[in-house]
Amino acid sequence: MVFTSHIFVFYFLPLTLAVYYLLPDRTGPRNAWLLVASYVFYGWWNPWFTALMLAVTAINHAGGTVIARPGAAERSRKAALVLAVASSLGLLVFFKYAGFLQVNLNHLLGAFGADGVRVWSIVLPVGISFYVFQALSYTVDVYRREAPPARTFADFACYIALFPQMIAGPIVRYGSVALALRERHCGVSLFASGTVLFMLGFAKKVLLANPIGGAADAAFGAAAPGAGVAWAGVVAYALQIYFDFSGYSDMAVGLGRMFGFEFIKNFDAPYRADSIADFWRRWHISLSTFLRDYLYIPLGGNRRGPVRTYANLAIVMLLGGLWHGANWTFVAWGAYHGILLIAERAAGRAPAWRALPRPLRVAATFVLVLGSWVWFRAETLADAAAYFTAMAGCGVPADARSAVLAAQVFEPGRLVPMAVAGLLLISRRQAHEWSAAVTWPKALVAFAVFLVALAAMAAQAFNPFLYFQF
Amino acid sequence: MSTHPASRFAVAAFAAVIAGVPVVDGTVDLARRVRPPVADLFTQPPTQANLRATEHAMEEGSAVARAVRPWMLAARFLGLRDGGDKVLRGRGGWLFYRPGAEYLTARPPAGGSMVNDALAAVRGFRDELDARGIRLMVVPVPNKESVYPDRTFRGGRPPAGALAPETAAFLSGCRRAGIPVVDLFAEFRIARAAGAPDLYLATDSHWTPAGLRIAVGEVARHLRAPAGPSAYAVLPAPVRRTGDLVRMLQSPAIEAAVGAEVVACERVVRAESGAPYADDPASDVLVIGDSFLRIYETDEPGGAGFIAHLARALGRPVASLVNDGGGATLVRQDLVRRPRLLEGKRVVVWAFVERDLRLAAEGWPVLALPDLPRRIE
Amino acid sequence: MNDRIALIGLSLLLAACGARDRNDGADAQVRSLGTVEVTARLVEVPEGAVFHRDLYDYATILKYEVVAVHRGAVAAGATIFVGHYDPWKPRAEAADKRVQGIGGTVRRFRAGDLHRMALETPMDDVFMGGIVDKYFGKREGPAYWAVWTNEAN
Repeated sequence: MVFTSHIFVFYFLPLTLAVYYLLPDRTGPRNAWLLVASYVFYGWWNPWFTALMLAVTAINHAGGTVIARPGAAERSRKAALVLAVASSLGLLVFFKYAGFLQVNLNHLLGAFGADGVRVWSIVLPVGISFYVFQALSYTVDVYRREAPPARTFADFACYIALFPQMIAGPIVRYGSVALALRERHCGVSLFASGTVLFMLGFAKKVLLANPIGGAADAAFGAAAPGAGVAWAGVVAYALQIYFDFSGYSDMAVGLGRMFGFEFIKNFDAPYRADSIADFWRRWHISLSTFLRDYLYIPLGGNRRGPVRTYANLAIVMLLGGLWHGANWTFVAWGAYHGILLIAERAAGRAPAWRALPRPLRVAATFVLVLGSWVWFRAETLADAAAYFTAMAGCGVPADARSAVLAAQVFEPGRLVPMAVAGLLLISRRQAHEWSAAVTWPKALVAFAVFLVALAAMAAQAFNPFLYFQF
Repeated sequence: MSTHPASRFAVAAFAAVIAGVPVVDGTVDLARRVRPPVADLFTQPPTQANLRATEHAMEEGSAVARAVRPWMLAARFLGLRDGGDKVLRGRGGWLFYRPGAEYLTARPPAGGSMVNDALAAVRGFRDELDARGIRLMVVPVPNKESVYPDRTFRGGRPPAGALAPETAAFLSGCRRAGIPVVDLFAEFRIARAAGAPDLYLATDSHWTPAGLRIAVGEVARHLRAPAGPSAYAVLPAPVRRTGDLVRMLQSPAIEAAVGAEVVACERVVRAESGAPYADDPASDVLVIGDSFLRIYETDEPGGAGFIAHLARALGRPVASLVNDGGGATLVRQDLVRRPRLLEGKRVVVWAFVERDLRLAAEGWPVLALPDLPRRIE
Repeated sequence: MNDRIALIGLSLLLAACGARDRNDGADAQVRSLGTVEVTARLVEVPEGAVFHRDLYDYATILKYEVVAVHRGAVAAGATIFVGHYDPWKPRAEAADKRVQGIGGTVRRFRAGDLHRMALETPMDDVFMGGIVDKYFGKREGPAYWAVWTNEAN
């Protein structure tokens, strides 16, 4: 089920909220109801997907139970950890990367003149990357004694399946909601801030990301884009992916508030970053902190000298790229960011860079990030290379078709949302904080844009969130 | 701590909207004595297909959504010049079919182009007709976007026809295979350069009477139409036509704002009696194709389309078979179902819009024609 | 507390029970229109057979298994192929300027559903427009034209 769909907004959400608040004000029955609702929400895509989620849940719950058993020997704790992590990652690798690995194995075998293996056609379960990471965070945190074990299986299953953030994050660590799973209350103020944040996120997706995405689709899908169209297309994609994903995150956090949870803020004005390292402190924060705490620091972080630090950065960014999808373009995206981060670190606090006015540093960082989105959005490495060529003005010369392509990219229906999106980027206001205390102007603005967005949803074709594919 | 009244308002307003819509929808359904689509969730197994179908039915059946949708579409179209998934707004009030624009500019889909399938289907059809002593003539009809790319965008410079790579590959493939093909792309480009009146309607995806006359002239030339006076005459028959691109937007407010075009059609009649043109199924010429043959022919004013004008140019009635939007395959399937239409034919003229080379509804399968007794020469 | 749970349970039960009631699909139209009247189960809805058409309205051929014959010469248990005009739309809204006189209570076509239909045959004599036939070249016998299509269960 998609948040910006008729069935979610007008049936699933009111029913789930109504039953939730009719139930006794205790976390037991309410968690149980949230669990049922979340499985319905997830099973809506494909009922069979729920079996996989249940398996990941059971594996990590069992692992956590063994690890947290009083008096458990370190050896058995470690064995349970390794088993749970390996089997969860094994499922992720199988469902997400098996086909990719087979295709690349066949390329390798072909190079040596050997016959290839049959490539399996495996359906990628929506959101698997997110809920597997959440499950791992539980097992690892319990092992590190940074989080208590779940009170009941139902509580843990509720945490994994919690519908507001299960499909596309934010990646919620068990430790951050463990207390709320045991004890939480939602007053009118918190609920209202949730509704305001949800309404704003909804509008970001429907009124900005979707129409802007049309310009990006036209440019990236073009056989022969010119330089102007190529630059406009990548700017459009940068805006689309930000407003799409941050809109989803706002809705997730807003829904969480409606049920008494407070999830991590996932974006912090990333396009106002003045360096790539700063960008990663602001973009998809729940993923970058996850990779930092569960991969970069265990690898040694920056504690073992510059070479090892650069290697760690490269590993983290390459795996972070691969996490987004089984395609070399995502690996290239990760490598691109890794190289930039290493270069930044190697340069240290270079005086020349720091001497630039902050707006220039922000602009330069934005242009570098635009380059990364080309890798991210292109379907193949060859497409990405062709797109960079077009951006450099070395593509196919303009012909009569260029006008038709320009008409698709530079439509007022795309440009006006892009302009609004640009203004919002410049503005210092962010939905997450803006919605925390609801006042009359905020309530009225949020409600008005929500009504417009609902009307727009009724007139738009189905448009799933970009991050669902990851 | 007291709650800000704005918080209460936000909660109440949000709840009223998300709960109010299903209540209104359910009430409307019950008043119309139809079962609300949501009830399907309780009456069928929760398979992926059933869930998608129920969700779709809930969206489409929502009385609130149906009431709001046309107004939102109108607001987008009139306020933001946004024609949604189907329509691209050009300059000077011209509208274009977005899939036609994408056909011209976008890479073929990941599955690859259908041009080779199309060429195989055309060769197969040619061979089937050859075996019956019938000649095939192929007429790919240019998309409006290919003829008027300059009118899609302010920066465009007239006159500038554009040939999509798939269309170019198809035309050259036909020529290599020895299949007679009428190149309307070149003809339209020449006509525009010579200052011809508009060849396509401003708010419709189809050609004007001027455009179809050029097409008829080219086809007739290929068929070696006899010179001299025709058995047919033409009468002026102007019509007011709401463009198909306007109707695609599915909003009465847009239709009212854009209005209808006045089209200077010419109706074909028998010269001696003034009787309207009528097909003759026994004619030696069969014309098959899509809506480019239907416009002005069975649409208003009637008898003023490609078919009637071709008959006038040939000096004799033709037989025809038209399938809107199905020029690639559906019309050939129709022909397989009605094989008697091939009796006594010397030529089949097959017209289909060029975007079918990528977007044909049923692809481009090779179809076998049923057996018929060979025509006696 | 128990009252709340009972209220929730009762609501869900009512929704589930109210969703389906017995219906043989008979009405004056289905009993009088066409030359054949059957109750038949829709076997499948092939991929791409039912879709929203921008402008042009086609008939789509769908495959049925006959459950009961009320009028006309069709064998019970036979497989028949029925052309429905613009099956994207509810039957009550499907008729237009080009095709008149059709209707019924079916709102959408789902595999496994039971329909009571008034039919005409052969379809090509009744309907001259475009036909989407996913069974083209794979089926035998005439295609029927659906005049009236009611839900049954």
